[in-house]
Amino acid sequence: MVYPQQPMVKTKTIELINYDKLPAGQNATVAVMSYSGYDIEDALVLNKSSIDRGFGRCQVVRKNTIQLKRYPNHTKDVISGHRLDENNNPIFPHKAIGSDGLGEVGMRIENGQIFANKCVPTNAGESVLGNDAQNGEARESHRETPAYYKGPEPSYVDQVMMSTSDNDQTLIKVLLRQTRRPELGDKFSSRHGQKGVCGIIVQQEDLPFNDDGISPDIIMNPHGFPSRMTVGKAGVLNGSLEYGTCFGGSKLEEMSQILVDKGFSYSGKDMLYSGVNGECLQAYIFFGPIYYQKLKHMVLDKMHARARGPRAVLTRQPTEGRSRDGGLRLGEMERDCVIAYGASQLLLERLMISSDAFEVDFN
Amino acid sequence: MSTEKEPIVHIQEHSKDRVKFILENVDLALANSVRRVMMADIPTVAIDMVEIESNTTVLPDEFIAHRLGQIPLVSANCDEGLRYTRDCNCMNGCKFCTVILSLQVSCSEEGKTMMVTSNQLEVIPQQDLYDDGAEEMSKRPENFGQPVGKDDAAAEPILICKMRKGMELKARCIAKKGIAKEHAKWSPCSAVGFEYDPHNRLRHTTYWFEDDVKSEWPLSENAQLEEPVKEDEEFDYNAKPNKFYMDVETDGSLGPQEVVLKGLQELQTKLANLILGLKAEPEADTTAHGEAGFGQAEAAPPGWAVPAGAAGATGGGWGQNQALTNGTGGGGAWGSTSPRAGGSGGGAWGGAASHTRYWWRMGCWC
Repeated sequence: MVYPQQPMVKTKTIELINYDKLPAGQNATVAVMSYSGYDIEDALVLNKSSIDRGFGRCQVVRKNTIQLKRYPNHTKDVISGHRLDENNNPIFPHKAIGSDGLGEVGMRIENGQIFANKCVPTNAGESVLGNDAQNGEARESHRETPAYYKGPEPSYVDQVMMSTSDNDQTLIKVLLRQTRRPELGDKFSSRHGQKGVCGIIVQQEDLPFNDDGISPDIIMNPHGFPSRMTVGKAGVLNGSLEYGTCFGGSKLEEMSQILVDKGFSYSGKDMLYSGVNGECLQAYIFFGPIYYQKLKHMVLDKMHARARGPRAVLTRQPTEGRSRDGGLRLGEMERDCVIAYGASQLLLERLMISSDAFEVDFN
Repeated sequence: MSTEKEPIVHIQEHSKDRVKFILENVDLALANSVRRVMMADIPTVAIDMVEIESNTTVLPDEFIAHRLGQIPLVSANCDEGLRYTRDCNCMNGCKFCTVILSLQVSCSEEGKTMMVTSNQLEVIPQQDLYDDGAEEMSKRPENFGQPVGKDDAAAEPILICKMRKGMELKARCIAKKGIAKEHAKWSPCSAVGFEYDPHNRLRHTTYWFEDDVKSEWPLSENAQLEEPVKEDEEFDYNAKPNKFYMDVETDGSLGPQEVVLKGLQELQTKLANLILGLKAEPEADTTAHGEAGFGQAEAAPPGWAVPAGAAGATGGGWGQNQALTNGTGGGGAWGSTSPRAGGSGGGAWGGAASHTRYWWRMGCWC
């Protein structure tokens, strides 16, 4: 999380574990209302301006480990420097690495580029025996097996470390960093298990606002409440941090009194204006800061599609799983749908004739 | 409407970064448009690209770039003093479309935390490449592009990051002109307050209450400026709001006066463009293909569902077996061989002005 804030409502436990010193969320101004239909089924509406200003921004750091092995025949893996093209510029995959063959700190690294140019000896498996001259020559021949960066979005090299592991093998660790702003499909949660994914991102001027010009960072659908009973609000305006438990925390009456003193309704509900046409909304809206955390489930890590791709050797069926660029399963229920629609010939054609059929050459 | 009263603006408060005013005798829609335009459509200058030469602070490069981007820069008269980079005829940035700032800080003090603030950003004068924009340059104030509050000792500078001994931050920032629709950093306003009908005379909202509305819903300050609703007052369901309390607070990049005036100007330009667009449309239609198209679009019921007239009956398209058996195939769906059917196809899409032309091309070529 890039700009963490300490929660405005806290508990004794939070103080005991020092969560307020190392927080992982932000006090988002939330309006509990229905807006645009993109917030049904626990989805959230986010304010684009808040995101621009750093709301929910986070950094994802990934560690990549490379081991340089030694082989029984005295050959070993090496790191070789970047290769240059005719204009003395590094070739595309080698753009992010320096002359030492490791990623340079601060460089941008894109899909298909290398962050460590490891080379494996071509004769690693050969016998230990033999005369020195032969070995000396053999030792020189290496094959490049670089560590490629794979991902739809570029990363930046954050840190590079070189060390030795337990069994005396050289170990290289490269930290790659990505800064991500919230996007459609990212998951957020309040501290009450009231989680939801972002359904739409809306311009600030289209969002509802109150008469001071405050517009929410998040709009949450009220339908999530009745069945789950997970209301928790920090309606604290006087700058102090309050305890939010019903067992001997801050008193409800006192909290309500603060709200009234600052010119709000005691229930925490507010009158809002529509951002689109300026009219005030017919209903009162529960409005105020709630502590929100961004969860690690982000679409960027999950999105996946496949048209054509690798197949399993044994069955010749498409592989499984995102990491292997696998296919998406057309299961039993999906099959039923296609049949019910009346497109059973499609199934025959797609799944049998152009998929299972295989021609074997007998010559 | 001759009975309409002249709009009145009554300024209640005006300071360096905020203006409070009452807008009277205008429509709700207009008042809200002004609010929206002020928030999102006024161009300002903000750092858009950061070239980091060295950064050994604890914060990563993107983090610092993001923070730099959000520093408000003095952009008075930016509308006329600076071009959009996309409109400029330079290759990649010149002094007419960009402002360049540099940040060069390093810390050598032992055991002390040093603050890197917006005051350490310096505007670098750029060389003349072309000489056609001297007029634009003259419209800029002297401190154009400087961080807000740099020449004001009383104003607290904006913290960018903190550093200890041996850390260094060198960056070249390229500031560009933009509007807040693109990114919130270009918004000149920090908040725009907007209120009407503080007593809820028009009953646009229904207050939730337990015992008594009046004691449970505190009135806003503006309520003192209007008569409270009497107990026995009759509800006028035809009444329209006509008094709007607005409170514009800026981040300092533009003065509040400029925000409001530029906002109105921007709104005017937008409306003028709309009117121009509406006027030009019929002409374009007549030149293209006679009377069909747009005119028909308004008269005819939605083009899809209707089997398109007598001739050929193929324009109806989609689900209709007739169109398919007639052998026009895919073309049937998109209007077809006869120009007449093409016209009615246009009817389906013609509602949006920009689509009609596109449609004409389809109609001709199919």
